[in-house]
Amino acid sequence: MSTSTLSERRDDVLHALREKYGPLAPFLAIAGGAVLVVSGLLSWSHIDRVLQNISVRFWPAGIQIYAMVLGVVALVLGVLLLRKTPWLDPGRGLRATGTAAVVFVAMALLAIGVTTDGLINANEGGWVALVGAVLVVAAGYLTAPVDLDVHAWPRLSSTLEIVIIVVALAALLFLTAYTLDMDDSWTFFLLILTILGVVVALLTAGFGEYIGFIGQNNRRPLVLAAFLVAFLFPFTQGGSSANMSIAVQILIFAATALGLNIVVGLAGLLDLGYIAFLGTGAYVGAMLSNSAFATVGWKPPFFVVMLCGMVVASIFGLVIGSPTLRVSGDYLAIVTLGFGEIFRLAMFNLDGNTGPDLTNGPNGIPGIPDLNFFGFDFGETHTLAGVPLGRFSNYYFLLLLLIGVVILVFARLNDSRIGRGWVAIREDERAAEAMGVNVFGLKLLAFAVGASLAGLAGTIKAHQDTSVTPDQYIFLESAFLLAAVVLGGMGTVAGVLVGATILKLLPEKLREVNEYRLMAFGLLLVLMMRFRPEGLVPSKRRQLEFHEEDEHLVDLAQTEHLEEAK
Amino acid sequence: MTVTETENQGHHVGDKVVLEASDVTMRFGGLTAVDTVSMQVREGEIVGLIGPNGAGKTTFFNCLTGLYIPTEGRVTLNGAQLPPKPLKVVRAGMARTFQNIRLFANMTALENVMVGRYCRTSSMALTSILRGPKFRREEKATRARAQELLEYVGLGRSTEVLARNLPYGDQRRLEIARALATDPQLLLLDEPTAGMNPRETEETMQLIFKIRESGLAVVVIEHDMRFIFTLCDRVLCLVRGSVLVEGTPAEVQSDPRVIEAYIGGDDTDEDEDEEEHA
Amino acid sequence: MEFAQQLVNGLTLGSLYALIAVGYTVVYGIIQLINFAHGEIFMIGAFGALSTWLLFFDGQTSIWVLPVMIVGAVACSVLVAVLMERIAYRPLRKAPRLAPLITAIGISVFLQELVRIGYNDPTLFLSDWNPFGFPSAAQKVPFPQIDHISNEFWNVGGVIIQRSTVFTIGALLICAAGLFYFVSRTKTGRAMQAVSQDPDTARLMGINVDRIIVVAFVIGATLAAIAGVAQGLQVTNINFKMGFLAGLKAFTAAVLGGIGNVWGAVLGGLTLGLVEAMAVGFIPGTFGGSPWKDVWAFAILIIVLVFRPQGLLGAKVVDRA
Repeated sequence: MSTSTLSERRDDVLHALREKYGPLAPFLAIAGGAVLVVSGLLSWSHIDRVLQNISVRFWPAGIQIYAMVLGVVALVLGVLLLRKTPWLDPGRGLRATGTAAVVFVAMALLAIGVTTDGLINANEGGWVALVGAVLVVAAGYLTAPVDLDVHAWPRLSSTLEIVIIVVALAALLFLTAYTLDMDDSWTFFLLILTILGVVVALLTAGFGEYIGFIGQNNRRPLVLAAFLVAFLFPFTQGGSSANMSIAVQILIFAATALGLNIVVGLAGLLDLGYIAFLGTGAYVGAMLSNSAFATVGWKPPFFVVMLCGMVVASIFGLVIGSPTLRVSGDYLAIVTLGFGEIFRLAMFNLDGNTGPDLTNGPNGIPGIPDLNFFGFDFGETHTLAGVPLGRFSNYYFLLLLLIGVVILVFARLNDSRIGRGWVAIREDERAAEAMGVNVFGLKLLAFAVGASLAGLAGTIKAHQDTSVTPDQYIFLESAFLLAAVVLGGMGTVAGVLVGATILKLLPEKLREVNEYRLMAFGLLLVLMMRFRPEGLVPSKRRQLEFHEEDEHLVDLAQTEHLEEAK
Repeated sequence: MTVTETENQGHHVGDKVVLEASDVTMRFGGLTAVDTVSMQVREGEIVGLIGPNGAGKTTFFNCLTGLYIPTEGRVTLNGAQLPPKPLKVVRAGMARTFQNIRLFANMTALENVMVGRYCRTSSMALTSILRGPKFRREEKATRARAQELLEYVGLGRSTEVLARNLPYGDQRRLEIARALATDPQLLLLDEPTAGMNPRETEETMQLIFKIRESGLAVVVIEHDMRFIFTLCDRVLCLVRGSVLVEGTPAEVQSDPRVIEAYIGGDDTDEDEDEEEHA
Repeated sequence: MEFAQQLVNGLTLGSLYALIAVGYTVVYGIIQLINFAHGEIFMIGAFGALSTWLLFFDGQTSIWVLPVMIVGAVACSVLVAVLMERIAYRPLRKAPRLAPLITAIGISVFLQELVRIGYNDPTLFLSDWNPFGFPSAAQKVPFPQIDHISNEFWNVGGVIIQRSTVFTIGALLICAAGLFYFVSRTKTGRAMQAVSQDPDTARLMGINVDRIIVVAFVIGATLAAIAGVAQGLQVTNINFKMGFLAGLKAFTAAVLGGIGNVWGAVLGGLTLGLVEAMAVGFIPGTFGGSPWKDVWAFAILIIVLVFRPQGLLGAKVVDRA
């Protein structure tokens, strides 16, 4: 009770302030942005070993540049605020930029304080930046929220739109390479903060929806460009395998999460035991491999192994999916969790003593050799265009192909009779059935397709990891996969890719806080469900389902449908 | 129970019996919601189902369409007994609308109708992924048929509107289009004009006549007596789960028992909406 | 003899499950929420008891310590449960059902990690400062030994009955009696029944529904905390992962009894405990014995959910999804 009156009172105060000082907001934003930019030119600490070298004036490096980037964003938003564009709400963007900048500066000062003997070692730059950040926040809160008019989106020529896409993706590639190159944990953390701040600012200001709209209009060029960028990535690594090994982890994780997204995002069924399908594929891959510990005598070529992995996993998928005939919702989630645990325990126990010898029990199957396609050895380094591409790069390209297949399956199923059936089931299961949709069959299909894709990924994973053990397939891994889907956005490809990247990349790079990784993960799930349950890059329809009452969203979705129909 | 011949309004009603429900009974625990109801519907016939709230009309519909498994009795469509599975009922050629509109709210009007085509199309997973000529042909046909049906019910200009954004009357019509997309021989309409203004009601009546002209049989539940008596060839009045009167609109209209059932009907049990949610 | 021994084992295990299961069922009965993180409340209870002992009675073994430990356990569990309801679940009351479930997974992971990391380092992020000398919770932590209870047993005609067993079963009996009194005789208990029947009408009748929901969480947490103490006495060590499996099994018990039905939870807990003990004792061959016992438990979970989701005594709501 008291909280609501409190927030009401806060709103009243805010309203009064806006009445009085609202017109000042653009100038505050521009001033704040300028101060932030200037702060980048100042010295942040007189010790030159902290956060790379940030002690020199007029020679911005590392976090000084990030502060300037935040400043530029604030400047641009401030100018846009003056121009009053109907499809943008720079005020919200400024609020996000300002908040990010305040957190950023506070964290930077904390970093300086912690890594040296205290804040005494901070120079004027940080404090000046703090002033700028506060100005930007103030500008953000002084601007009244605007109802975005999505009909006012500027129409560009399609060439220009494609150019925008290509430039954006090239920037993404550069940024990725730059980010991954970072070896200082604090600087990395601050960089991520900056990127998040800028992205959230642009999204809330209304650019996100517009970019999404452009992407929607140019699906094919977008997908092609994205794949090209992904293909070029290993060439930016100059033969180093550190980042490639992370990239390979991300791809396997993303491929599996995309499979899960078919079950969760498209068919609307919650699967908490999904990691078992990846495990099935991996165990099939291991058992049929040339490993000395393989428990099956048959050694078929890898293409056959992949097929076997898919088939076995999809059979498991059908078994695990069969209860959907009778149970749904929370109960189904727990049934799948039970199956997942049974899988892990069975793999643990089938060691010859307790049950037949299939899996070597807790020791698993080690010593799985690298793949070899027609003499192309995945374990060796090959040189292409002067860049040495090592073992991880080889697997990277294979997995990229796999992701391509998974995305194709996902997108084409979604846009078909089957996809429509899934939406109908999500919307109103009984009505769907009464309209002749084979509800049970479609649910089973989702499980089978999802499982077979995970199984396929598993067979490759077994070779890439060189060993398979039961403890890789615990419940927590299923929770991680689900988190990638939820965090990224249910029912979209881009969302899951984003989610998977965040969940795999952050812990690798933030080694110093690795201890708190899981705790942060738990907190992240809770916060996401509270504040943005539809994920970072949601499908419009899913977003509507989570926010039944939001008129702006309805309007937006409607516009996009009409545009698509044209 | 004899079926009275109908000469109402001079429409030709075929001889072929499309739907035959015999002695359908539905009990929930101690409550008998539908009590040995029998009904015949012929080709091109419009049959009305009236009765006070709680008389068991919607429950009877649910028994016909397989949402409920009747405690007793059998339902046949074109002579073949219907299994109590909604899916199979639709495939056999019976489609329905709902009393409280159940559209797929976040899909467009066109998509809603395309879902209705689901049971008459056959592309499965592999076809959908490979996108061969057959898939593209079928998808195109589905889209064209859905468009055609939307125009048929008068929603030709709202194809890309999300179902939730449609006006109430249009939502009811969209439900009819979606049901028609399943190529039914028999259409069950549960209060198709509830909440409509007189003009919309009149349009709906014309639409139902048009549907009948195309050879379908229609069963309508409605509280609007004027609507029912103008529209139907034959009317059944259900009271407390059993058929009280059956006959031509004129016969039912003048039957004192019907009037008494409606006036004295206040003591009948709870609202029928409750059953739908059960 | 073997049978009688497994019967005792089963009843002990079952009492434990029953104590935890009540928490699932009470909350579900009122807001149809499967509080997936309830297992962690049980774990927190065990650690709460241990902390109380370490803080105030380190080294003491006399039996009067036990009631204070129980109070400490209950206090910790209740605090965490109430915070959980207020911060995480309450804002999601009207959200699609997926949201609270994922939230629960998040809470579950968070609480486990909080105990794992925070326990031997109560200051968490700052330093290695550890004034209380708490042991690391990353491995199994020994639970205090209590005179007259730990390591003592009766031998009744060849059947070994641990004193801790008596504590566990006794705890269930006392809690069940208390719960019965609370639900049927007190004003709050009757209000709770009203809310579970029809929250909207209850609200119109002037019942503070939010408060009743908190009460449900408190009841569940109290019983889970007592179960945590019982588990500590029984197994003599505890760890931060103990809530996951126990929670799942207790959930199975709640569904088995008929979720939403308090007496069903008790009955379901006892049934599940007995079945599990008998399975360990009597399933022959390589698939028997303790390596496979959890597999059988999960199999029961699945079978119950699929074939008898309304449980033995009938659930209030089967599954609205």
